[in-house]
Amino acid sequence: MAETTGPAADVLPGSDMNAPLLEVEDLRVEFAVRGRRIPAVRGVNFALEQGKTLAVVGESGSGKSVTSQAIMGILDSPPGFVTGGEVRLRGVDLLQQDEETRRTVRGNHIAIVFQDALSALNPVWSVGFQLGELYRVHRGAGRRAAEQKAIELLDQVGIPDAKNRVGHYPHQFSGGMRQRVMIAMALALDPEVLIADEPTTALDVTVQAQIMRLLRRIQDERNMGLILITHDLGVVADVADDVAVMYAGQIVERANIHDVFARPAHPYTKALLRAIPRVDAVGRELEVIPGLPPNPAALPSGCPFHPRCRAADPERCGDEEPPDRQAAEGHLARCHFAEEVYRDER
Amino acid sequence: MGRYVIRRLLQALLTLFITLFLLHYLTALSVQIRGNPALLFFGGERTPDPAMLAQIERLYGLDNTCFDRPGDPCLGPFVERLQNYAAGDFGTTLNGNRDVGELLTIYIPNTLRLFIFSTITLVTLAMVLGTWAARRRGGLIDHSVRGATILIDSVPVFLILLAYVYILAVPLTNWARDIWGAESFMGQVFRPNYNPDYPWTTIIIPGIIVGTVGLATLTRLVRASQLENLGSDFVRTAKAKGLKTGRITVVHVVRNSMIPIVTGVGYTFAFALSGAVLTEGIMGIPGMGRMIFQAVQRQETNLIIVGLTVTAVVVILVTLVVDLLYAVLDPRIRYD
Amino acid sequence: MTELTAPAAGADAPQASLWKDAFRAMARRPDVLFASLIMLFVFTMAAFPGLFTDKDPTRCIGREARGRPETWFRGEHPLGTDAFGCDFAATIVHGTRPTITLALSVIVLSVLIGMTLGILAGYFGGWIDAVISRALDVFIVIPLMMGAILLLSLFRGRGSSGNLLETVAPAAIALTLFGWMEFCRYARAATIETKNLDYVTAARCLGAKDRRIMFRHVLPNAVVPITAIVPTSLGSVIVVEAALAVLGIGVQPPATSWGVLLSNGTQWAGGGYIYLFGIPLGLLILTVFSFATFGDALRDALDPKLR
Repeated sequence: MAETTGPAADVLPGSDMNAPLLEVEDLRVEFAVRGRRIPAVRGVNFALEQGKTLAVVGESGSGKSVTSQAIMGILDSPPGFVTGGEVRLRGVDLLQQDEETRRTVRGNHIAIVFQDALSALNPVWSVGFQLGELYRVHRGAGRRAAEQKAIELLDQVGIPDAKNRVGHYPHQFSGGMRQRVMIAMALALDPEVLIADEPTTALDVTVQAQIMRLLRRIQDERNMGLILITHDLGVVADVADDVAVMYAGQIVERANIHDVFARPAHPYTKALLRAIPRVDAVGRELEVIPGLPPNPAALPSGCPFHPRCRAADPERCGDEEPPDRQAAEGHLARCHFAEEVYRDER
Repeated sequence: MGRYVIRRLLQALLTLFITLFLLHYLTALSVQIRGNPALLFFGGERTPDPAMLAQIERLYGLDNTCFDRPGDPCLGPFVERLQNYAAGDFGTTLNGNRDVGELLTIYIPNTLRLFIFSTITLVTLAMVLGTWAARRRGGLIDHSVRGATILIDSVPVFLILLAYVYILAVPLTNWARDIWGAESFMGQVFRPNYNPDYPWTTIIIPGIIVGTVGLATLTRLVRASQLENLGSDFVRTAKAKGLKTGRITVVHVVRNSMIPIVTGVGYTFAFALSGAVLTEGIMGIPGMGRMIFQAVQRQETNLIIVGLTVTAVVVILVTLVVDLLYAVLDPRIRYD
Repeated sequence: MTELTAPAAGADAPQASLWKDAFRAMARRPDVLFASLIMLFVFTMAAFPGLFTDKDPTRCIGREARGRPETWFRGEHPLGTDAFGCDFAATIVHGTRPTITLALSVIVLSVLIGMTLGILAGYFGGWIDAVISRALDVFIVIPLMMGAILLLSLFRGRGSSGNLLETVAPAAIALTLFGWMEFCRYARAATIETKNLDYVTAARCLGAKDRRIMFRHVLPNAVVPITAIVPTSLGSVIVVEAALAVLGIGVQPPATSWGVLLSNGTQWAGGGYIYLFGIPLGLLILTVFSFATFGDALRDALDPKLR
């Protein structure tokens, strides 16, 4: 893809190629609603290496999409504000950059695939225009060259007859094809980090699998870092390298995917795993997590999960907010009893 | 697309036909109920000689017996009227006996020129104010824009005009003539009445004033559609693509807002036509509006009917153009 | 029929809260409160002119003609006298009733006609819809004021006898005939939307009658968009009445309306008697502005996504 790399746009000033690809440290986001400040993301930490896939899992409202928008710098502000932390791309803290630098980072270095491609694509422009726009704005390509690029991209993401489809409008594509267009748009400038925000939620099950396969193939080919945001642990099992489980604006468990599936160290993760339907357990009733996700404007005291937790110690968990505890090597969980849960004793 | 255009055209023709019939039927009803307008020719109360009356009746196409039966649709005279219109014969004026068709060729271009200025004013003001208000949503500017446009729209256009003619026009003209001279552009533009020697210059101010008709409605529409687009997912996508704010505004917000705005302009056009009646009447612009204005004062029913027919044709055409533009602007519309 | 009440209750609850929310949103806005006060003032003036003046507007003394209001709001003639020596304050106060009666009757009739036709067209579709939609197309082609000009010129009367009904009726009929279309369009759109809602389909499947569905489900939904445009429409009827009066075909003398006062006032505005034009003008603008502001806020309150 060397021919797409422009001279200046591809190297972020001050970046260190030996630094980790993307590090998020103590990221905090608040929303101003009717004069009140409501925390949506409360100190999120994670790191992503080149060629790896990190799955961010959580229920709706847990702050996972807000985290991704804060990383991209496309949070609607107001009402959303990043109130603290760092987002380092190859060692450069993006939150400290001016708007113009952040703008060139978007698309060039970090790109995002949204959930609902029908509303995420502009209905009045052809997909070719919307794809070509990236080359015209970031690379100064002409109309003809941009369209040629758009055809190549559509071809790469497996859209048949790309030459003719390039002039079509979003509503003329099927759901799966539209999501492929969305992915093509994210790949256009060959970014190092790709964020996929629930890329398959709006799709049929069979199409979901195709899209996941496409994402994985692309990541392998281009050696990108991929952040896969989902509410469905089942989807990520055979794609992700690491998992970060989010609850109430925090990452409550972070570890290698095999560790998490084999030995979860947080009661919430454990409950999520039990809620996945399994072929080898036919006849067993699926478990549900009791209660509702917490309201960010009125979080429970202590551990935010304690009202729904089966392993909670009523006194300790209700009063004391748990720190990150290491249940095993590289396996962190935000629970007072992480070790016990890990050993399946609680 | 071709079939859609043809279908819309046929629909427009049907509407025009029914409208013409409605106008005709109302005229017939008025003759049947109120009595013969030919009597007006003789100046009201006097009873004219029956032979002369019959002649006049023939002249104005009122000799059919259907005009004596209340409720009769008078289809015969209707067909006759349509044939006359098709042949370009719109009758003559009672006052001065001039050919109405000839008058129309003078009047229609004048009104069109008035509308060029009013449409430009309306669209520019509404776009600028609506965009501004949308950006400052909920703030002081948003409320001020809303209040100001409602206020401007609340003042009937003929009152703005009267206030202008009686209060502002003369001092402004005198001031401008002292500086630039009477024959200059500035010396003419503020005149309180139309001057046929300066057909473009002296129509600007009335055009701008007619352009305030529907300002609140259109500004509101611009604001709402921009807000909808500003908060949309595709604008978020555009931001994520690293586009500059200016490009996002033009390519992704304004372009998408054009769809409701085109409809809005078409819709306010009909109201602007009403505004033109008093505007042209007060400013003395020899256009369609003044024709209707004078026809009302001189009780020339035929002129009113012709004026309304032209109005109807214009509104039908504008609606047609808006529908076709809509199809061009929004690729999601299907033509079948 | 017990099954039928369940979806109906579900439908009524959001309706009730919609109106309650709208009321609450309106009551918080100072501009709405101001507009409401003006509207209240105008309506009171129309209903009880005796509260505002004790003079008879028809008792005119020629030699007191065009007395400028030197003693503003006090004294013998609080707003001076008009061209014939009548008390101007009394003329204005008594001119309010025809103006407001005209506006209200036009809107009430238009809403009734428009809503009935709109609901029928939207609910039954087919040839009923085709006929009503064609009628909509035709009437919309003729702008409100043009239609009124046409009718009032064609059926011009010989001046009224002073009776309120006779004064207002011609203009009211003319304006209604060309004023029902907007209400019809909104009612039709709301009806089509409601008709296809799941709970209405469910009610129909359970055997609810057309009339029941129309009154329980369709009507409450059609009322929302129509209510939202009523205040603004009231304002525009007042404006059109004034325009017709300037043309000399509105409310006929000897009865007065604000439009008639304005039209008479224009003759004197240039000659130094600006109050004869300015006072009715101010009153008209203030009233129309209040209706428009109130209507604008009502629309926002009833359609919260555009706020």
